[in-house]
Amino acid sequence: MENELYQHGLNISRRRFLSRLSIGVGSAALGSLLIPGLFNGSPEEDAGFLPGIPHFAPKAKRVIYLFQNGAPSQLESFDYKPTLTKMMGQDLPESVRQGQRLTGMTSDQKSFPLVGSYYSFKQHGQSGAWVSELFPHMAKVVDDICIIRSMHTEAINHDPALTFFQTGAQQGNRPSMGAWVSYGLGTENKNLPSFCVLLSRGKGNGQGVYSKLWSNGFLDSIHQGVQFSSGENPILYLQDPNGMDRKARRDMLDRVAALNEMELKDFGDPEIATRIQQYEMAYRMQTAVPEIMDVSKEPDDIVKLYGSECLVPGTYAANCLLARKLSENGVRFVQLYHQGWDGHGNLPGEIRGQCMDTDRASAIGIKSGSATARNT
Amino acid sequence: MAFFNNTKEVGYEGDVSVSKPAKMPVLTIDSSDRAKLLSFINQKDTGALTVSVMGERDTMRKTYLLSRGRYDAPAAEVQPNALPAVMKYDTARFPRNRLGLAAWTVSKDNPLTARVFVNQLWQEFFGRGIVKSSADFCMQGDLPSHPELLDWLAVDFSHHGWDIKRLIKQLVLSATYCQSAVVTREKQKADPENLWLSRAPRIRMNAETVRDMVLASSGLLNRMIGGPSVKPYQPSGLWEMATSGRGILATYKQDHGADLYRRGLYTFIKRTVPPPSMMIFDASNRDQCEVKRARTNTPLQALIMLNDPTVLEASRLLADTLVKTGASPEDMIRECFRRIICRTPDKREIALLLDYWKSQEAYFTSNPGAVQATIKQGEYKSDNAAGTSVAVLMRVIQVIYNMDEAITKS
Repeated sequence: MENELYQHGLNISRRRFLSRLSIGVGSAALGSLLIPGLFNGSPEEDAGFLPGIPHFAPKAKRVIYLFQNGAPSQLESFDYKPTLTKMMGQDLPESVRQGQRLTGMTSDQKSFPLVGSYYSFKQHGQSGAWVSELFPHMAKVVDDICIIRSMHTEAINHDPALTFFQTGAQQGNRPSMGAWVSYGLGTENKNLPSFCVLLSRGKGNGQGVYSKLWSNGFLDSIHQGVQFSSGENPILYLQDPNGMDRKARRDMLDRVAALNEMELKDFGDPEIATRIQQYEMAYRMQTAVPEIMDVSKEPDDIVKLYGSECLVPGTYAANCLLARKLSENGVRFVQLYHQGWDGHGNLPGEIRGQCMDTDRASAIGIKSGSATARNT
Repeated sequence: MAFFNNTKEVGYEGDVSVSKPAKMPVLTIDSSDRAKLLSFINQKDTGALTVSVMGERDTMRKTYLLSRGRYDAPAAEVQPNALPAVMKYDTARFPRNRLGLAAWTVSKDNPLTARVFVNQLWQEFFGRGIVKSSADFCMQGDLPSHPELLDWLAVDFSHHGWDIKRLIKQLVLSATYCQSAVVTREKQKADPENLWLSRAPRIRMNAETVRDMVLASSGLLNRMIGGPSVKPYQPSGLWEMATSGRGILATYKQDHGADLYRRGLYTFIKRTVPPPSMMIFDASNRDQCEVKRARTNTPLQALIMLNDPTVLEASRLLADTLVKTGASPEDMIRECFRRIICRTPDKREIALLLDYWKSQEAYFTSNPGAVQATIKQGEYKSDNAAGTSVAVLMRVIQVIYNMDEAITKS
C-alpha cells in the first residue's frame, strides 16, 4: 500500500510508464502523418524501422471514397475468372470452401453449383487489366486505378462486413476511416466539416446504410461524418428560420458573442472562447455550404463530362460532382454511398442499371482526381 | 460466461418481422402484477405485457473458452466463477448461478461494486471521476485522485442501503460542489485541470439535458414519467434516406401534441439512424455501453441552438407567456434570463439585451410582414395576440438560449 501511495504521489508506475510508452509509438506514427518527412532518414535506417510506418513521405491530402453499397459482384466487374465459366454447373470444390460458414440465405441449399460471369471481359490500358463490358468508362481510366482482388472480410452478412470496411471492426462504435483522417490531418477549410458523407440510391435491390458507418467512435464528435442531403437544407439545421435574413442573423450572433465574451471574462474558462469560435464557424458554414451545393453555375463542359444527370440533386452523378467541389474546397474526406447493389437472383438485370448510373461519373472522378494529384 | 450459459432457451426462435418476444420462456405481466408486486412499473396502457425471461436449467451446461472468440472453436472447459482479485467466489455463500453472481456483486464485502458506482456518479456531477478511467479499475486504469474519499463514499453508500438519492444529495450539497466555478489566475496555475477540485466543475450539459433545459425554461416540458418513447421534431428524410429498418422503422412518423415535449430521456432511438440533435451533443447511439460521454464543442451544436424548431418554439411560447403579463421589457428580459441561465442578469447584460430589444422592436415595426413568419414556429398552440412584441421578445430569448452559460452547468 505504501508503495502504491508513493507511486501515486509521483503519478507514475511501471504500468503507467508502459502505457504511456505505447501511446508514444502511436503519436510518433501520427506525427509522421502530420509532418511528412519526419522519419526520412537514410535507406539503411529505413530498413530496420518500425512496421506500419511507411517508407515514404505520405502525400495524399484529401480522399474521395466512392462506396458501392450492397456488394457489387466482383465476377461482373474487375475479377475475371475464365476457369469459373468453364466449370459452370459443377459443385463448389471443398478445396475452395474449406468448411466456411453458410449464410441464412444459402444454408438450405442441397448443392452449391458454380456460376460464371454473365457479362464478357476484355483487357484494357497499358496494364492489360481485365474489365467487364459493364464498365466502359472505368475501362478507359484503368491505368489510373489500383485493383485489389484479395480484399475480403470475415463477415458473412452485409451489416458486419460493411461496418468492418468502414471502421476496421465488425461490431461498430469504432471511428470510421473518415473520422481518423479528420483526426489525423485536421481541416484545410475552416468553413466546412472535414468529413462529409453523400448518399444516393440506385434502382437495384437496396441494402441499408446508417450513420454509425461514419461514426466518430471514441474520437471527439467533431470528427463525425456530416451527412449532406440533397434538399434545401444540405446540412442539418443549417438553414435560418423563416423571417431571419443574413443581417438579422449577424446582428443576433454579435449579441451572443458579446454576452459570451463577458462570461469568458467572468469565468476564465477556455471552453467559452471555443464556443465563441464555433458560432463564427457555424455562421461561415451557412454561407459556404450552399455556395458549394449550388451546381447551377457549373460550366457546360463540366456538366457534359458528368452527364446531365449531375444537375439532378441526389443522383450519383450529382454527388460525384459535389464530392469534387467539396474536395477542391479542402474537405479532407468525402464519402459517397450508392445503394442498390444487392442483386441476388436479379443480379444480371439489376447490375446493368447500377453500372449505367455510376460508371461514367466514377471514371470522371478518378480522371480529374489523378490529374489534380499530378499537378500538385 | 458460464453463469449465462445455463438458460433453458435454445437457439434462434424469434421472427424480426413480428412484434413478439424473441425467446422462450416468457413471463406475462398483467394489471394484477402491476397493482401489487411490480408497482414501480409505470405502464401507460392496460394490456398484458409479455417479456422473455431466462429460466435456469436443472443441470449445468458445459461452457468452454472459445479460441480467439470463435463460437465454433471450443478450448478449455470453464466453471462459473468471478474475479478472484476482486473477491473470492465462496460457493458456500454464493450458489454457482446468476442469483449467486448477483449476491456476490452486491455483497458488502465486495470492494469493487460500490466504488465503481460512486465514482460513476461523481463523474456525472464533477465531470471527471475520482478514478479518471471510470470504466477501468484494473491494471491499465488510473489511480484515484482522492483514494480516502472514494473509500469513504463507497462504504457509506453500501451501508446506507445503496440509496442513490442520498448519495446525490451528499455530492451536490458538499462544499466542494458548492464552490465558485470561476477560474482565477492562481487556480489556473496551481490546478489547471481542476484535478484537486480547487473550483466547482464547469461542464456542458448532456444531450438530453440540453433538450430538457429548453423545454423546462419555456414552460413546454411535459413532466409525465414513464410510458413508451416518443418521436419529436426531426429533419425530414433521414430514416428514409438510410433505408435501413422495416415496418415502423422505415419512415419517421413524428408525434404531435403533448408527446412533442417529453424529456430527452424518452426520445425514440433508432440505432442505425439515431436522432441527430442528440448525437451532435454526444449522446450514445446505444451500440455499446458508454461509461463516459464525450463533451465536444462544435459548430453543429451552434446550428442546433440557433435553428432547431424545438428551441424556436420554446422561444416563441416563453415570449407569448411573458408578453401576456404586461410587464416592462426590462422585467421580461430579467425573467427570461433567470429561467434560462438560473441567475439574475447583471447591469451590462441587461443593457445589452435591452439594446437588442429596441433594435428588434424598430425592425419589426418597420417590417410588419416579418412578424408572422418569425413567430410561426412549432405546433404548440398559443394565440400570439401581441404579434410584434412576441416576435421581438422571441429574438431576445433566442440570444439567451445561445449563451454558453445556457447549456453549461456551472
